[in-house]
Amino acid sequence: MGFTATVGGRSVDCAEDQPVLDAFLRAGIWMPNSCNQGTCGTCKLRVVSGEVDHRSSPADTLTDDERAAGLALACQARLRSDAVVESTGAVGGRATHPLRDLTATVLEVADIARDTRRVRLGLPEPLAFDPGQYIELTVPGTDLRRQYSLANTADEDKVLELHVRLVSGGAATEGWLFDGLAVGDRIEVTGPLGDFVLPAAEEDDGGPMVLIGGGTGLAPLLGLVRTALARHPQREVLLYHGVRGAEDLYDLDLLAELAEVHPGFTFVPVLSHEPAPDGTGYRTGLPTDLFVDDVASARGWSGWLCGPPAMVEAGVKAFKRRRLAPRMIHREKFTPADALG
Amino acid sequence: MTTTSEKPATPDLAWLDDITMTELERNPYKVYERLRAEAPLAYVPVLGSYVASNAEICREIATSPDFEGVITPAGGRTFGHPAIIGVNGDIHADLRGMVEPALQPVEVDSYVEDLVRPIARRYLEQFENDGHADLVSQYCEPVSVRSLGDLLGLHDVDSDTLRDWFAKLNRSFTNAAMTEDGEFANPEGFVEGDQAKAEIQAAVDPLIDKWIAEPDETSAISRWLHDGMPPGQTRDREYIYPTIYVYLLGAMQEPGHGMGSTLVGLFGEPDQMEQVVDDPALIPRALSEGMRWTSPIWSGTARISTGPVTVAGIDLPANTPVILSYGSANHDTGLYDAPTRFDFHRPPLPHLAFGAGTHACAGIYYANHVMRIGLEELFESIPNLERDTSSDVDFWGWGFRGPTSLPVTWEV
Repeated sequence: MGFTATVGGRSVDCAEDQPVLDAFLRAGIWMPNSCNQGTCGTCKLRVVSGEVDHRSSPADTLTDDERAAGLALACQARLRSDAVVESTGAVGGRATHPLRDLTATVLEVADIARDTRRVRLGLPEPLAFDPGQYIELTVPGTDLRRQYSLANTADEDKVLELHVRLVSGGAATEGWLFDGLAVGDRIEVTGPLGDFVLPAAEEDDGGPMVLIGGGTGLAPLLGLVRTALARHPQREVLLYHGVRGAEDLYDLDLLAELAEVHPGFTFVPVLSHEPAPDGTGYRTGLPTDLFVDDVASARGWSGWLCGPPAMVEAGVKAFKRRRLAPRMIHREKFTPADALG
Repeated sequence: MTTTSEKPATPDLAWLDDITMTELERNPYKVYERLRAEAPLAYVPVLGSYVASNAEICREIATSPDFEGVITPAGGRTFGHPAIIGVNGDIHADLRGMVEPALQPVEVDSYVEDLVRPIARRYLEQFENDGHADLVSQYCEPVSVRSLGDLLGLHDVDSDTLRDWFAKLNRSFTNAAMTEDGEFANPEGFVEGDQAKAEIQAAVDPLIDKWIAEPDETSAISRWLHDGMPPGQTRDREYIYPTIYVYLLGAMQEPGHGMGSTLVGLFGEPDQMEQVVDDPALIPRALSEGMRWTSPIWSGTARISTGPVTVAGIDLPANTPVILSYGSANHDTGLYDAPTRFDFHRPPLPHLAFGAGTHACAGIYYANHVMRIGLEELFESIPNLERDTSSDVDFWGWGFRGPTSLPVTWEV
C-alpha cells in the first residue's frame, strides 16, 4: 500500500513507511537534503495538496507555524494520501497570465522578407500576455501545433503579430501558412506561453540590455525592446538581428524610427552568408561575435537571445565572456518542432 | 593433506603497519580504498585507533546506542575539555542547546542573506577586475571566516588572522600520529595550535569581559554566555572555550573547503561547470556532490564504545575509540558508481559529509547557505572563470581536506 508524490509534474511511488525524500531520491529526482534525520531543515518543502504525517520531525526544525503553513521535512514525512509538493525555494514567482484557447481571424498576410511572412491575427476579445511570450497555432485539420512568438507589446492585445519563416517541406509553413492562408481564415490559438519576459515594471531598473535575434527570432525582441524603451526611454538597448543576407532583413523602418526617438537604442543588422549590398553599411559575420567586439564589459546588463540553438549557445558564451551575469541571460530557443515548419 | 582452503580467509593486513601520516595527508584515498576492500573496520597503528572506512559501518557506529562521541586524542590535546564534539549526556545537551538557536533553519533564514552576500561582494570587489586570482585564499576562505566571524561577534578580528588560526588548529588537531606506546609521535606538532589558542584567548577574553557586562544579541558568543542561564550568571569561559575552538577550526575552515572542492570538481567537468554557471539553481546540487567528492571533514570525528560490542564481525571491548572516515565512506563503491568522479548528475543518494547521529554537524543548514551564496555571487560576478592550468591543484589533509590553492583566470 502506498501513495503517489508529485513534484514539478513528476510523480513517484511512495510506500506507506517511506520518507518522501527517499522516494524522490530513489527515482532520481533531486531535492536539497543533508542530514536525513530531521535536524538540518535543508529538505523542507511545501505540501500543496494531500496529507502527510510529520513523524519525528523536530519542533525546532519544523515549527508549529510552519506545519500549519503546509511545510514538511521531506526526510521525515510519510504520505497519508497522494500528495503534490513543491520546493520552498521556488515559490513566490510572478503571477502568470491565464492560458486560453481562442479562435482568431487572419487579418493580414504579408511577405516582408525572403521566405518570411508577417501574419496578423484578430482576436474576439483581448488576450493578456507579457511581451516576449508565444502562442501555439493548430494546423487546420491536424493535431499539429506550432509555436510562434508574439511581436507585440502588451497593449496590442487584440491583434497578434507573428513572423513566420518558410521551412522547406514543413507541414505548417509550406503546407499551410505559405500556401493558401488567406485573410478571413479562422485559426485555433492557445496562449500565452513562455517565460521569455521582462522583469515586472516595478522591478525594472532601466539597466542596459543586449538582444540578439536570429531570423524570425527578431519577433519577440520587438515586443521586448519597445516595452523596455517605453518604460525607460533613455535606456541603453543594443539589438542585433542576424540573418543570412540583406533580403532577409525586415522592419527596418520601424527600427530606424525607434532609434531616432531613443538615442540609447542601437540596431545592428548582421549578414552571415552574403556580402553587404553597396551603400548599406551592413556588417557581416555572426552577431554573437560582433557583440564581443563591440562591448568591452556587459556587467550589469541583461541579455536576451532568440534564435536557432547554435546561436543561443554562442550568445550565452559571448555574454558570459563579457561578464554579463548568467542570472540575467534570457533565452528562447526555437524548439525542434519549429524546424519541422 | 593440507589445502589452502584450510587457511584462515582473513587477508594479510601487515600493510597497515606501513601507513604514514604524511601519506594520509597527501592523499588518503588509496589507503582507504584498500581498507574498504579488505578491512572496513580495522586498527591502524599510526593512528593508534580503529578506523571505520565504509558507509555502512560509519553510519552504524555514528547512530549506534553502543557508542558515544569522543574527540580524537590529538583533537582533545588541541581543544581541551569540554569540546562539543567530544562530550555526551547533559554536557553535550547543554552545549548543543547553546549553539543551536543561531543555527536553526528558521533563524539562519532570517540572517544568512544579509550576512553573507555583502561579504562575498566585498571580497569579489577586491579582485574581480584583476583577471586572475587564487580563489581559495582570496575568496572561499575569506568569505567563510568573515561570515562566521561576524556571526560570532569577532568583527575586529581580521580575516587573515581567522584563516591563520584555523590552519594552525587544523594541523594541531590532525597531528594524529601515535607511537606503539600510545604516545603522540610528534608532540612538537601541537606547539602552533597552542600558540593559536593563546592568540585567540588574548583577542576573545576582552570581548567576553565586555559581553558579560553588556550582552550583545547579535553576537553568538555573547549569547552562549547568557542564553538559558539564571539572571546575573553566565557560562564560565573555560567551559565554552573548547567549543569556540571547534568553531574556529571546523566551522571557519570547512565552508571554504566545501566551496573550493566543489569548484575544483566543476573545473574538471566543464559541461557541468557551464550548467551550474548558467543555472544558479543547480548550485546546491553541485555543492552536495562536492561535499561527497572531497568531504571537508574527511576523518575528523570519532566515537567510543560504551560497552563490549561487535561491529562488522569484529569484537570491540568497552572504551574502544573508532575514527569515522566520512571522506572514505563517501567514496564507497557499494553506494556510488565511480566515486572518484565529480558528477552532480549521479543518483542523488545522501552522503555522510555532515556526519550522522547525535553528533551530526549542527551547522549543516548554515554552512550550505554560506557556500551557496558564495558560489552564486562568484558566478554572477565572473561567469567566465577558467582554471589556470599552468599548475595542478593540490589537495591536503586527512582529518580535514580541501584544495590548498585554486588559481583562476578570466577575461576582464
